[in-house]
Amino acid sequence: MNNQWHLNSLIRGLSVLCLLLLGACGPASEHGSQTQPVTESAKRADSAKNSGADVNGGGRAGFANLGAASQGYAHASSATYLSFPEDHGPHPDFRIEWWYLTANLVDDNGEPLGMQWTLFRQAQQPIAKIEAEPKSEHKAEPWSTDQIWMAHMALSRGENHRVAERFARGASVPLPNTAQQAGVTAQPFRAWLDDWQLESQARNPGDDALDHLRLTAQAKDENGPFGYRLELEAEGPLVRHGIRGFSQKSADGQGSMYYSQPFYRVSGEVMLEGEHVAVSGRAWLDREWSSQLLSASQTGWDWFSLHLDSGARLMAFRLRGGGANQDDYLSGSWISPDGEVTPLNASTLTLVPLESAKAAGHRVPLRWRLTLPEQNIELEIVARQANRWMNTSVLYWEGAVSVSDAASGAPRGQGYLEMTGYDMVRQKSE
Amino acid sequence: MRLIGVALATLLSHYRRHPGQLAMLLMGLWVAGALWSGVQAINASARDNYARAEALLGSGFDRLEREDGQTLTRDDFIQLRRAGVLVSPLIEGELITDSGEKLTLIGIDPLTLPGDSSLARTRASGGLQGFITPPWQTRLAPDTRAQLGNQPTLNSGTPFPPMVDVPALPPNTLVMDIAIVAQLLTTGDSITALVSAADALPAAPRGFTLVRADTRTSPGQLTQSFHLNLTAMALLALIVGLFIVQAALGLALEQRLGLLRTLRALGVSGRTLVVLMALELVLLGLLGALAGLVSGLWLAKTLLPDVAATLQSLYGADVSGKLSLPWHYWLGGIGVTLGGLFIAGSGVLWRASRISLLGLGQAQAWRAGFQRQLRVQTLLGGAAALSAVALLWLSTREGQGLDLGLVGGFGLVAAIILAAALWLPPLLALVLSLLLSGLSHLTRLARSWPLTQWALADLQLQLPRLSLAMMALLIALSANLGVSSMVGGFRLTFLDWLDQRLMADLYLRPAAAQFADIDAWLAQRDAVNERLITADATSQLLEITSSNTTDKSVRRPGLPLSVFGITPGQTLMADWPLLNTLGDRDAAWQALQHGDAFINEQLARGEVIAPGDRLSLATPGGVESVTVVGIYPDYGNPRGEVVLATHQLQQLFRVPPVSIGIVMHPGEDAGLLSQQLIERFKLTAHSLRDQREVKATATEIFERTFAITRALNGLTLGVAALALLATLLAQAQERRRRLAALWAIGVPLRQLLGIQLAQLAGAALITGLLAIPLGIAITACLVWGINVAAFGWRLPLYIFPGEISLTLITAVLVALLAAGLPMLKLWRTPPRSLLAEEDT
Repeated sequence: MNNQWHLNSLIRGLSVLCLLLLGACGPASEHGSQTQPVTESAKRADSAKNSGADVNGGGRAGFANLGAASQGYAHASSATYLSFPEDHGPHPDFRIEWWYLTANLVDDNGEPLGMQWTLFRQAQQPIAKIEAEPKSEHKAEPWSTDQIWMAHMALSRGENHRVAERFARGASVPLPNTAQQAGVTAQPFRAWLDDWQLESQARNPGDDALDHLRLTAQAKDENGPFGYRLELEAEGPLVRHGIRGFSQKSADGQGSMYYSQPFYRVSGEVMLEGEHVAVSGRAWLDREWSSQLLSASQTGWDWFSLHLDSGARLMAFRLRGGGANQDDYLSGSWISPDGEVTPLNASTLTLVPLESAKAAGHRVPLRWRLTLPEQNIELEIVARQANRWMNTSVLYWEGAVSVSDAASGAPRGQGYLEMTGYDMVRQKSE
Repeated sequence: MRLIGVALATLLSHYRRHPGQLAMLLMGLWVAGALWSGVQAINASARDNYARAEALLGSGFDRLEREDGQTLTRDDFIQLRRAGVLVSPLIEGELITDSGEKLTLIGIDPLTLPGDSSLARTRASGGLQGFITPPWQTRLAPDTRAQLGNQPTLNSGTPFPPMVDVPALPPNTLVMDIAIVAQLLTTGDSITALVSAADALPAAPRGFTLVRADTRTSPGQLTQSFHLNLTAMALLALIVGLFIVQAALGLALEQRLGLLRTLRALGVSGRTLVVLMALELVLLGLLGALAGLVSGLWLAKTLLPDVAATLQSLYGADVSGKLSLPWHYWLGGIGVTLGGLFIAGSGVLWRASRISLLGLGQAQAWRAGFQRQLRVQTLLGGAAALSAVALLWLSTREGQGLDLGLVGGFGLVAAIILAAALWLPPLLALVLSLLLSGLSHLTRLARSWPLTQWALADLQLQLPRLSLAMMALLIALSANLGVSSMVGGFRLTFLDWLDQRLMADLYLRPAAAQFADIDAWLAQRDAVNERLITADATSQLLEITSSNTTDKSVRRPGLPLSVFGITPGQTLMADWPLLNTLGDRDAAWQALQHGDAFINEQLARGEVIAPGDRLSLATPGGVESVTVVGIYPDYGNPRGEVVLATHQLQQLFRVPPVSIGIVMHPGEDAGLLSQQLIERFKLTAHSLRDQREVKATATEIFERTFAITRALNGLTLGVAALALLATLLAQAQERRRRLAALWAIGVPLRQLLGIQLAQLAGAALITGLLAIPLGIAITACLVWGINVAAFGWRLPLYIFPGEISLTLITAVLVALLAAGLPMLKLWRTPPRSLLAEEDT
């Protein structure tokens, strides 16, 4: 049985070489995730499974093909220095990139809400290759495409979890003086797809472009419209993860360029179930780009971004597979309230899943134990709702978590958890 | 069990002694099956194509158009998306390959295309990356690919992007990424459509108009009548073929009566015998049906290109020249042939089950049976005639003239044909007995004509078997006459109408930017008498307000239709064909000039609109109301159309003019002017056409349209001839025995043969004569009933004496031809062996 699955995935994987982070099924406009039929998600799971063979047909290539070989692209390395505001903009010589915003919100009655807004960029072919091609091939302007943009938005309250997804074609070198459906500019900072937009409001000359942001996005599905309009104000500096922003992702040494702005205070309003609700809270922006995020043997990750009540922030992730001896690969950043970073690794960070539950038919770990021996911290992290499955063309789980002290149970903070690769687990176990 | 095997072998051994009968049986099945399954293959293939065409757009897209009528561009798309309006760009165009294949090319943006259509799904297989990046992909249906051959090229030598099969795509359609389509069609920044999922947009964004996924009739609905026509034709062939089968089976039973009695006497039960004969039927049926299916496929393959051309020209429906058949087609083909066989054979089985062990199978007994059969036929024919009358009464009761549906129309034709066919044998019998009695009266007065008397009596004896073949001949002849008269009449009407409609000498379709310059230049030419400027637009018929004083009803069809602008000058007003006007012609033209409208016959009939009614049309500026002042014939147009004066249309719909018809002064040279135009304005041959050319194209389309009808018609007649031949061949042996006796008495062989030919020719002539009124009746049903229902126009009834005499000649010729072969055999047989046959 397993043999046959492997053979199938190999044969089909060969014919489905391409991305699948973005193109697994193509855009299916916008769906409410709760009502997605089972067959549909099975189909998606299937296509994600197909991606589980790498370019050489030699085996798994990680979640959403993020482990696929990346010849011709630039590579992240510890020798790269981040410089702003340029690095707030896109890096089309890298294969993938994202602008990833999550927020833990409350309304005036104290009811918690969660939101996510992400803009993904995926190069379709290395820029070097495009430039090498004869001019005639390149004449297909103005529609010619070597980048695909994908945006996800989610808004959750209690049982309610609304998701939307959009796509756009783009070019690494856009034609001058033409409007674009999607893109990111560093100066002035603006990231957009259609009418979804994250825009810098920074006025003071000394400010970083990301210090003040405005996010607007709205979508409509069969349950009606939903959306948000939020103002974000940073209360701390940008944070570079890993070695000056190079975040290693496996023992093989490959990784990504990764920095965050974890210190946002948010205010604004959300639209949900026909009403406008004033909200406030904390937000976290991740910026990451890479050409090979995962090694071929890694199947997914569990990613935490936590706002602790002490004022400290914590980023931690576990990449399943790809560590020394094919163990899981652990990494993270302990961020002091004034933005000082202490990198974490397998010896200074443990992450143990305690309990799993079903979300949209997929078993995902929703209760975790996180231990930082050097900081003398032991936390229990619990997802507030199981129902935070992102039924987008790439399947993953993304939702708000509560953080408490493992020993006393006293609340210690809140945050967001992202888990990928669990749709494949389901396939395998069946 | 063994007994059954032996009995079956014994029964089948008959065919070893009479291979001709076996051949005739199989041929009947084969011919019937071939025509039926051929036509069904064509229908099934076309329906499959329509289904794919409809699925291409799924549940349909709403479309956005610019309010100012300008071409949409990429900027419009980006602006709308940035404003949160979820639209997707499409580029649609026509592509001609280097080998001359014309294809529809659709460029999509898979990243924004909404919905579940085949168009949207084409992105699912094979990966998005390959689709949107060089060298891109050509998504096409396998049949389109087969049609294109191995290495199709474009623009003298450029290969297509790599081809990927998507069976759900309609024929002759290529889907590619919008980037490469913009390059291939050199559309630059412009796009042909902005689509959004049906009903996703609550209202049109500012500056745009929203065209809802319309209620436009799908190709499947439009062409339904055409396929019904084909099916009716095939059914006719099937019935005629089954006549042959029936004749062959009857003969085989007749000759095996002795054998059956022997088998009964040997202890085979009656039931077993019937089962065995049914088994024989199944065996033969399967064989014949399979042969029919195979030939039907061949026939369909041969005819399909013509059918595809017809459907394209009549309805604009795109049908592949390649067959694509669903599985149920195969079962259906065999099923219908077998079913028909059992209907044809049931009489034989019934008779076989009632064989009396002691009775004698004698000709006289047969005759008594035949008399009874004639009475039954007369009654059944009466019933059919009554139902025809009832249908006619039903259809005329309500409105004026014939108003049958399509099915009603075919029902009427079927009832008339059935009545005539059933009455034919009694009629023939009556004529014969009248002649005989007349002759016997005469013989009392003068010397007898023994040979004539014998010939008549002999024909009477032949009648039971001949009658079926004659019925088949009658059906084929009358259908042939009916259809060819209809086509001929249509042809006359159509050509006449073309002459009236195409009054300009040159037709010019300049690029929009050049239009004003060219028009101004033409205005200064002395040779030019009039410039007939046209424009077109699409609209929706929102409301019809009847002018009828007693019935002030308002109907809201919400029907999409095209609006056409004409320039009512002297030329048009004099000759432009009009069927009906409000007031006189001149008044109608004056009213048109001042903003009223003409509508085409299809629209008038389809929506029951009379001159004087008011129509509310959707225009970019809101709802406009116009009065219908005239109805014009519009052959070859499947859809409803409204005509306005060009300047009115341009004002209402905010569209630019499209073409100029140039009317020359008498004696001026249009060729010279066209030379000047081409040189001065660098026109392509495509944008300037002279009247002759347009007429030739229209006529060619017409001829192709009815090529399939003619082909099927001819085939049906051929089958009828075969039926007659088969019948005559089958009884040739028995006939020879009778002739032998006469021969032995001393009647010269030449005279004998003459009598034989005269007998058959006479019977065929009577049949042919009966076919004439029947054919005319069928023509009337076609032009007044079925055409109106199928196409929306009514044609005058033309009678062609040439066609009629051709029918008569065909009847006699077919009979003579069919009699010729047995005759030739007889000629070669020595009398002695003829006499010897008497004993067998």
